[in-house]
Amino acid sequence: MGTFISQLINGLNQSSILLIATMGLVIIFGYMNVTNMAHGSMIMLGGVSAFILMEVLHLPFGIALIGCFIITGIIGMITEKLLIKRLYSKPTETILATYALSIILTELVRIKYPLSQNVHMPLPGAFHIGRVTIPYYNIFILVFSFAVLSLTLLFFRKTTFGKMLGSVTQNRTMTECLGIKTSTIDTLTFGYGAGLAGVSGCVLAPTTGVSYDMGSTYLTDTFMTNVVGGIQSFAGTAISSGIIGEGRTITAGFLNETWAKIIIFMIVIVLIRFRPEGLFTKERR
Amino acid sequence: MRKKKNIFSKLPLNRYFDILMLIFLTAFPFFTKEFRVEMMGRYICYAIFAISLDLLWGYTGLLSLGHAVLFGMGGYMIGISYQIQNGVVPAFMQREGITEIPWFYLPLQNPIVASILGILIPALFAALIGYFVFTSKIKGVFFTIITLALAQIFKDFIINVQKYTNGFNGLQSIKRFSVNGSTPLTKTTYYYVVLVIAVLVFIFCLWLTNSRVGKICTSVRENEARLGFLGYNAGAFKILIYTISGALAGLSGVLYAPATSTITTEDIGVTASTMVVIWVAVGGRGNLTGAVFGALLINWAQSILSEHFSSAWQLIIGALLLVVIYFIPNGVIGQIVALQRRIITDRKKNKLMEETPKSKKMAVVK
Repeated sequence: MGTFISQLINGLNQSSILLIATMGLVIIFGYMNVTNMAHGSMIMLGGVSAFILMEVLHLPFGIALIGCFIITGIIGMITEKLLIKRLYSKPTETILATYALSIILTELVRIKYPLSQNVHMPLPGAFHIGRVTIPYYNIFILVFSFAVLSLTLLFFRKTTFGKMLGSVTQNRTMTECLGIKTSTIDTLTFGYGAGLAGVSGCVLAPTTGVSYDMGSTYLTDTFMTNVVGGIQSFAGTAISSGIIGEGRTITAGFLNETWAKIIIFMIVIVLIRFRPEGLFTKERR
Repeated sequence: MRKKKNIFSKLPLNRYFDILMLIFLTAFPFFTKEFRVEMMGRYICYAIFAISLDLLWGYTGLLSLGHAVLFGMGGYMIGISYQIQNGVVPAFMQREGITEIPWFYLPLQNPIVASILGILIPALFAALIGYFVFTSKIKGVFFTIITLALAQIFKDFIINVQKYTNGFNGLQSIKRFSVNGSTPLTKTTYYYVVLVIAVLVFIFCLWLTNSRVGKICTSVRENEARLGFLGYNAGAFKILIYTISGALAGLSGVLYAPATSTITTEDIGVTASTMVVIWVAVGGRGNLTGAVFGALLINWAQSILSEHFSSAWQLIIGALLLVVIYFIPNGVIGQIVALQRRIITDRKKNKLMEETPKSKKMAVVK
């Protein structure tokens, strides 16, 4: 029983990691409709900046979080300005261009850091309930991911910028007619999404270490989470990351990591066959 | 005589290019060393692989980032077949404590059966994935993501079932089609076998894309919604083309594994799938020539350049892809074909302008 409970808690940890990693994708893929294959690399860049800020420059974790957000956000904005701006109406070309970008970013990091790097744990220690051990950092990730989720929701629902963004996704021409600079909104939104990816990379860095190829696994995981939850739905993404994270950890407990991936993948394919809109999106006509 | 000339001037430039490439490839073994011939044979297998992606991506507009999965299935079928010849349990299975060949490997003992299965299983697999992805209302982009995930998972799977596939190390000493212990084909003979099959595949694809099915697939790419209004079931055609593409990818894998005599997990993962996308993108998609040309060109470039820039090769590939997308979106061959088409239409217009009397000029311009 104890092992099962610790499996559940591990699953919760996986889920919160998935949630925070997918959040940026909800904005970029869901709202802006850009299939950003460089999302994994953005997460990786966040991890690498966390490594540089915390281990090379010895800054505290809080500042590293903000630093990662700003660094990857700026890289995201540059990406949008240089590459994606010219491809908004061409989905296939967007996929290829962002994919090429992810290859380039991965290779650049590989040349600089060919080995996996460790980042020290900012919140060491754990508390024990019976035989179950919960590291403090896992609790921090859970709380932090929900904090980021609610902040992002507030940002989108309450601020002027969030409302502008909503109107751009609904009716671009009309928004432009109202005197809102849609291209600036696009750039800033992409930067925000990339920044969130960077933050998730920073949060991940102490648990898994930083390596140049950490992005590729997160890329497909986040896309799947996003599609299962409904691509524009933050709440759906939260629930689906819970389902996928828990499902994968529990299956991995019975079989192993690879079979868990395969089974979850098959379930996802069957799910989207019958619920292409995502599990938690209301049917819209 | 005049009619003949017309046919030739109508033929797009890339078909001449095909003929030139065929002549070059046929004559190739006569003026190079044997190891170069072996290399070229491998690249021709890659060209078949590229054609299979071109059918799917270039003609039907479905970008697959996991096409190497289907390629690898074919390669592994024939690879396993040569591990278990004459009922010998291979060393990597014995190490894991397997003393008998597992029942699901028994039909693979015959390389001919293995080759056929190496074509059928990828096709069936593609049909199954296609059924789930293409019959739902999901966005086209999701197919790309599913195939990408597939490539990652399939590689993990092959490594995970090390008992049966030798995991990371891959399968070695795959012979060039020796059936029942006969001597395997020589390198040059095998080269010509591959070349002939490649030509047949090329002709089949040429026929397919000019047939009614091919035209419908092209219209899936151009405007899927309108195709639906006209009463066609776009999903069924997508499944069909993915199945055919899967069969061809499997075939290229079946031919590839004996050509190099090994197949490893490097040939089936995300990196391999990306490479084939890059060949097609550079060569030009939607005209078959581009796929073949891209596969041959990039692989030659890789074999020559990676000796000098082996550490930065992936970087070069990424940059090359960006350059192609932004500056030559049609690919090398696609650009040439587009140029030729423009010249022909310009010439026609000029001719009409010159021939027609002034009063009719307006009508022609319209």
